[in-house]
Amino acid sequence: MGLVSLQLLVLVANIAGIYSILAIGMNMHWGDTGLLNFAHAGFFAIGAYTSAILTTPASDSGLLANRIIGFDFPIAVGMITATVLAGVAGVLIGATSVRLDGDYLAIVTLAGAEILRLGISNEGWLTSGQQTLKNIPRPLEGALPSMLPYGFYYFLLVLAVLIACYLTFRYLAKSPFGRVLHAIREDEDVPKALGRNTMQFKLKSFGLGAAVAGLAGSLWAHFIFALQPTMFTPDLTFSVWAAVIIGGAGSYLGAITGMTVITLIRQVTRFIPSDVPLGSKLPYIRLIIIGALLVLILYYRPEGLLGNKERALAGMEEN
Amino acid sequence: MVAFDPQLLWNGVVVGSLIALAALGLTLLFGLLNFINIAYGEYLAWGAYIALGAKWADVPFILAIVLGAIGAGLIAVITDRIVFKQFSDRDPVVLLVVSIGVAFMLRNLIRVVYGGSTHFYNVGGEAPVVFGIRVLPAQVIIVTLSIVILAIVFLILNETRIGIAMRAASDDTDLARIRGIDTKRLVIYVSLIGGVIAGIAGVMLGIDSNINPTMGFLFLIPIFAAVILGGIGDPVGAVVGGYALGIGQNLSIIFIPSEYTPAFALLILIIGLLTRPSGLFGEATR
Repeated sequence: MGLVSLQLLVLVANIAGIYSILAIGMNMHWGDTGLLNFAHAGFFAIGAYTSAILTTPASDSGLLANRIIGFDFPIAVGMITATVLAGVAGVLIGATSVRLDGDYLAIVTLAGAEILRLGISNEGWLTSGQQTLKNIPRPLEGALPSMLPYGFYYFLLVLAVLIACYLTFRYLAKSPFGRVLHAIREDEDVPKALGRNTMQFKLKSFGLGAAVAGLAGSLWAHFIFALQPTMFTPDLTFSVWAAVIIGGAGSYLGAITGMTVITLIRQVTRFIPSDVPLGSKLPYIRLIIIGALLVLILYYRPEGLLGNKERALAGMEEN
Repeated sequence: MVAFDPQLLWNGVVVGSLIALAALGLTLLFGLLNFINIAYGEYLAWGAYIALGAKWADVPFILAIVLGAIGAGLIAVITDRIVFKQFSDRDPVVLLVVSIGVAFMLRNLIRVVYGGSTHFYNVGGEAPVVFGIRVLPAQVIIVTLSIVILAIVFLILNETRIGIAMRAASDDTDLARIRGIDTKRLVIYVSLIGGVIAGIAGVMLGIDSNINPTMGFLFLIPIFAAVILGGIGDPVGAVVGGYALGIGQNLSIIFIPSEYTPAFALLILIIGLLTRPSGLFGEATR
């Protein structure tokens, strides 16, 4: 295998790994609690920008924007703060809207994420705006043996975080806390009648899922090296949604599988030369395929690839 | 931030006309089908692109608008038949997610057919100044067209058998069915009318700014804000909500920087949902 294709391979592996961490957060919201969060790209952005701003120096002047905020802290500080801040943002957005009916929550969170993106695009003093926020430090870059591409080592980090998140969230889902979330998902009145403060549980679920999205954002920033507001469009949120549903809502392994499938579909065009017929249209065709896959899975296999059949049917008996 | 200027009011009426029309179509669809259809934004975009294609083929612009409207209406009917109908016994949330998949397909089909770049209709002409307000011919087209279409739709809703059946089924589908209304066929009519309205709104949006593949999707937030402000499923409320939002959004420049005007819709949306979840006029379907 040539070095170039190995580099491509680790690139795709990193993207799949980081997005899978996003999918884990989404699965806590939708799979475990039944909350329709459409702001996931926003939490991802909060994590990415927080980490980037904390770990780069301030002087990043350019044609379009002049960033005057920057701290040059160690990367670990960036990652931890990114996780915490995204979690706080999740609780704050949740506090305004988790008590709304499911689909209303979807609209409010979607709008919230778009406003956030508007802010990132316009507040150049903080985020460099439309101009790329560049030179984000990569952990241990230059200190590792150069016979393998840097992305390979980074993937080990991503994989370790992914496994840690997977184990933590699967544990949470099976704990008493998770069982209350499942009860809320099935019928909120039941845990309420048993004296549970369901509002508080929903907020915790929202905060935890958002925090893990923030952590993924931080990993993204330090891997991708340069950030742009266009990386955080609702298309990303919808891709994560599609991944969770294709993999099987409620199953963390399913969320990771689904995200890997989606990433492969989205990235496969990198491996196909652009001079094949329809080559220039392929990026769009692959998104059409994702849409079709989402609809077909929902029709033929509503429980997803690895999901639980009972879970999929539960929402359908009463309306 | 700027001082008050009657120009802002006029611009607000123009944007309000767009939102009101689009919101009316969405609220009609929601009234009967009872799920949030994310693909609605794509009906708008397809209307705009079909009209653009017709204009490229040297079809007169008025005819191009008609073609865009009919095209969007057919797309709405076809997606309902092929996709949404298959999920009619499922939870509204499942349908919402299905509509995301449909939106993905429709939006990227636009990119495959027409490419991803931005286009303009180039409806030019002199811009006379009336009472200190610069009035573009394109804006006059938008406002007039919107009023005409709104009048036609409300005439249909109030005076024809189909319109009365539509309102009855929107209030209570089961009751309407018991009274002998063929609600299944009604879904086709409503999809067609909703799609046609979306198509016209899409062309108008294209006249006002530009035509690009994400135009409809990004316009969804103000549309939803207007629908929720007016009370979901309430046609009059949607129109009032649309104009209120358009005018409010433009007047908000007096208080907040203009880059953030889109945030105004969100703010209204959140305040509306938290304080008056049943809409401005109270009587809500849910």
